[in-house]
Amino acid sequence: MDKHRQGATASYVVLALCAVVWVVLPAAVHRFAQEAFAEFQAPALHLAGKARDLARFWELKSRDKEEILAASRDLARANAALELQLRRYEDIRKENVRLREMLRYNPPPEHLTVVARVAVRDSSTWWQRIVIRKGSDDGVRAGCPVIFSDRVIGKVAVAHHTTSEVDLITSPNFRCTGFLEGDEQNRIVLVTGAPGRGLASGRSRVTAIPQDYFYPVGNAPKVTTTGLGGVYPAGLILGHLEGGQRTTQDGNFRESSLTPTRDLFALQEVTVLVPKYPTPGEILLEDQAQKRLDELR
Amino acid sequence: MRETPEAEALPSSPIAKARLYLVFLLFAVGFGYVIVGLALRQLIQTGDLKAQYDTQSRRVVLRPPSRGLIYDRNGYVLVENRIRWSIKADLLALQPEIHRKYLALIKAERVRGAPVEFDKLQDKARLDVLQGWLDRVWYVIDEAQPNKRGGARPRPVRPGDEPERRVNPADLRKHLRERRALPFVLVTDLAFPGSGRALRPEEGQRTIARFIDQFPVNGPISLESDIVRSYPHGSLAAHVLGYIKDTDELPEKVNELADLPMDNLQKLQYTGKKGAAGIEQTFDAVLKGMSGWELWTKTSSGYNKELVASNPAQQGSAVNLSLDRDIQCAAERALAQIKDSKGELLPGAAVMLDVNTGEILALASQPTFDPNRLADRVTQVYFDEVDGKGGWMNRAIQGLYAPGSTFKVITAIAGMRHGIVDWDDILECGPSFRVGARDFPEHDPAGYGQVNLEKMLAVSCNVWNYMVGVRLGQPRLAAEARRFGLDTPLLTHVSDLVNGSPYELPYPAARTLVVPDAAYKQRIGAGPWTDGDTANSSIGQGYILTTPLHMACVAASLARGETRTTPSIIHDPGRDGRHVGAEPIGLTEAQLTALRSGLERCVTEGTARTVRIPELPYAAKTGTSEYFKNGEKAHLAWIIGYAPADNPAVAFCVLVEGQLDTSTWGGKTAGPVARDMLTTWARKAETPTGAQPASDCQRK
Repeated sequence: MDKHRQGATASYVVLALCAVVWVVLPAAVHRFAQEAFAEFQAPALHLAGKARDLARFWELKSRDKEEILAASRDLARANAALELQLRRYEDIRKENVRLREMLRYNPPPEHLTVVARVAVRDSSTWWQRIVIRKGSDDGVRAGCPVIFSDRVIGKVAVAHHTTSEVDLITSPNFRCTGFLEGDEQNRIVLVTGAPGRGLASGRSRVTAIPQDYFYPVGNAPKVTTTGLGGVYPAGLILGHLEGGQRTTQDGNFRESSLTPTRDLFALQEVTVLVPKYPTPGEILLEDQAQKRLDELR
Repeated sequence: MRETPEAEALPSSPIAKARLYLVFLLFAVGFGYVIVGLALRQLIQTGDLKAQYDTQSRRVVLRPPSRGLIYDRNGYVLVENRIRWSIKADLLALQPEIHRKYLALIKAERVRGAPVEFDKLQDKARLDVLQGWLDRVWYVIDEAQPNKRGGARPRPVRPGDEPERRVNPADLRKHLRERRALPFVLVTDLAFPGSGRALRPEEGQRTIARFIDQFPVNGPISLESDIVRSYPHGSLAAHVLGYIKDTDELPEKVNELADLPMDNLQKLQYTGKKGAAGIEQTFDAVLKGMSGWELWTKTSSGYNKELVASNPAQQGSAVNLSLDRDIQCAAERALAQIKDSKGELLPGAAVMLDVNTGEILALASQPTFDPNRLADRVTQVYFDEVDGKGGWMNRAIQGLYAPGSTFKVITAIAGMRHGIVDWDDILECGPSFRVGARDFPEHDPAGYGQVNLEKMLAVSCNVWNYMVGVRLGQPRLAAEARRFGLDTPLLTHVSDLVNGSPYELPYPAARTLVVPDAAYKQRIGAGPWTDGDTANSSIGQGYILTTPLHMACVAASLARGETRTTPSIIHDPGRDGRHVGAEPIGLTEAQLTALRSGLERCVTEGTARTVRIPELPYAAKTGTSEYFKNGEKAHLAWIIGYAPADNPAVAFCVLVEGQLDTSTWGGKTAGPVARDMLTTWARKAETPTGAQPASDCQRK
């Protein structure tokens, strides 16, 4: 019995000592340990993701032939329609290029696209993050926007070698500017993530809505990216304004919640838009930002 | 029975026992003292001690409210609030970084073998760290184009850079001395980051977006928004609207803002704004709103630590002006067309009133200023620029001028009321009129021959007025001018909207209006009154001084057949049209008809015929008076009147200060401004309410 007690006490002491040692260790060691853990668990995340894909594959495989034939017929029709649309877009693109050349228009920063499967959806109400199966080895950098189709999903928070953590637009760490649908003056509003209350999931908030902004009753206006900040291309959908807009008590503006256009935790695949050249904001996210800034000077 | 070792250790002698009891007693008393003391503090003094703790460890931070909006009579916004994004550094969160920097600096000094000045190094560490963060902010918001080797290239700070690229040591010292608890402002206005250069709106938006989209969300640098005054139409009605200035004064009744022991708590306030001129100043009490407050705990070094409670600020109330945005715009645009031979703007003023209510539809003064450039910080350069042009003065209510021939309507009314002349009397008017030893000339060298009242008003005959004026005598002429209120300050406040402010606009010409008489001339030491002075007064020259607003009121009174008009800059749909001190004009129907007919002929065939509006018959009287500029004679161009001629709705007055080398005449110079105002008014009056034509008065 005494031996048991002594053993328990000793383990508490060791635990406390470990905690103290961890606290006093330099920040670089902390960082290394976190990175090492992320890289260590990356194969497990990959494996889990692939297992889910396999399950989905077998689920699809089990469908009967009639169903598949009908689906492929529908797809063929959709394909034909899209082919036509593609040709029309090609004409528009050429016209666009011609006009840009005429106007000597300086195009916005180009983006490379990296398509990534979602490995883990962290449903924690605190973090509002997902992990994707592409990392710095694939060219993903911290600070890059993440989209699905024409909708903004979030922004890369950390890029590990083979995986990346993405702050969703409902994350408190997310912030970007937006334009409101129908606002002819194109005034900037601020879109931020807001932590959920209790067990509720996170949500986004739109602030600095001008008092004289009105929209037709019954329509939830879209909030789209401005394209002015050098990160998000213009016109991507951030979400829709919820009906209840509150006037701030100082009377200057209104604020509202934002409904994301997708269920963010049901996503299976996303696209990371990687700017061709790192933006200043990306460099500031680097560990040695000040050193890098000094080097660039 | 065997005794215990303890029992054996007890002293056995009575003296020893007594000593022991004494020690016990001392311990008991001491212990009791502590217990009683603690109980006293815990149970009885709790309230006082808690209050003391709260006072010492908490502070209230006051957030100024945003000011109320100012609208024109149709509900268009003339003054609004613009969101201002500023970047601030949390000094408490930066403390560890500053401390590391401080230690590094000490180490470097010791390696150099130099004597260590700790205070200076502390300041330098703080400054370096803040400068580092400011560099990062600029690195993000600057429009540097990405280079192909990866990454935008930050530009090092140079001595010639705009002030906001450098952390000003004096500002930082002042902040630490006075507002250590509040975040330090790194960039005041993201939309206009360099105060020395003007950004186009889209450039400003891009700067804001770059910071919001790119700068890391977490960290010691925060984005805060507050409100700045915005005048969306630029300089439109600037003299009426006024401008604001910074204030660090605590709000009145600050201790009643919250249900807290505010009088004992330390208070800090973000810099607020208060009206410094115009409506912004006069109606400051209405517009300013109520401050918000935040109750913070503070650290031992004076920084804010934790927010305990807060209450947001409440916006001030709105003020509805009587101005009509479009007519005001037309008046200012027309005034801006009047230039001298060198192409410089001629100073001037224009007023338009609602005849029945006295509400002012337009009150323009030129040169003017852009209140947007005064909303945040007034630069000496801009102040001097406006001052050099004489742009601070509101000429419509502060400018004092001889009314010239526009005064002839008052001479005519006085003559008819006192039986000196009647509406159909014909006077022989030659090229001059002799008073004493001096010939007073007609402005037409040939003279006008036989002149009755109507013709006098149409051609603005001087000799007719000399004759009537001299026969009347100055006392009766001055009395008539006073009857029309030319010696009475206008825009006095009639409602109780603003307590303690007797005026609707600050600085109206209240004390220096002059309706001259013999006593006045004696008072200024110019000698006894002569008939020559009376002759001069009869045509609105000499010592008489009035404002364009007064002459607009005279025109409005004439249109109604009364003597006084009470103007107001505040829109009140329930205004009953009664005017303070007004009485019937005192003319017969025939006299009044002839007087009005003369004013109409002035437009159709007289001195204002060049600014006739075919579709809008109106009545007017022009005037060209003399004034001395730098010791030489120059001319003032006047026009007053009302429209439409048969059913007056609006009255107006325009004045232009001529220059030495530029000829200015009432009809030719001031007339086009009146015509533009009337055309705009007519266009709006013809259009049904709710279907107003698109305004050409655009937001800037």
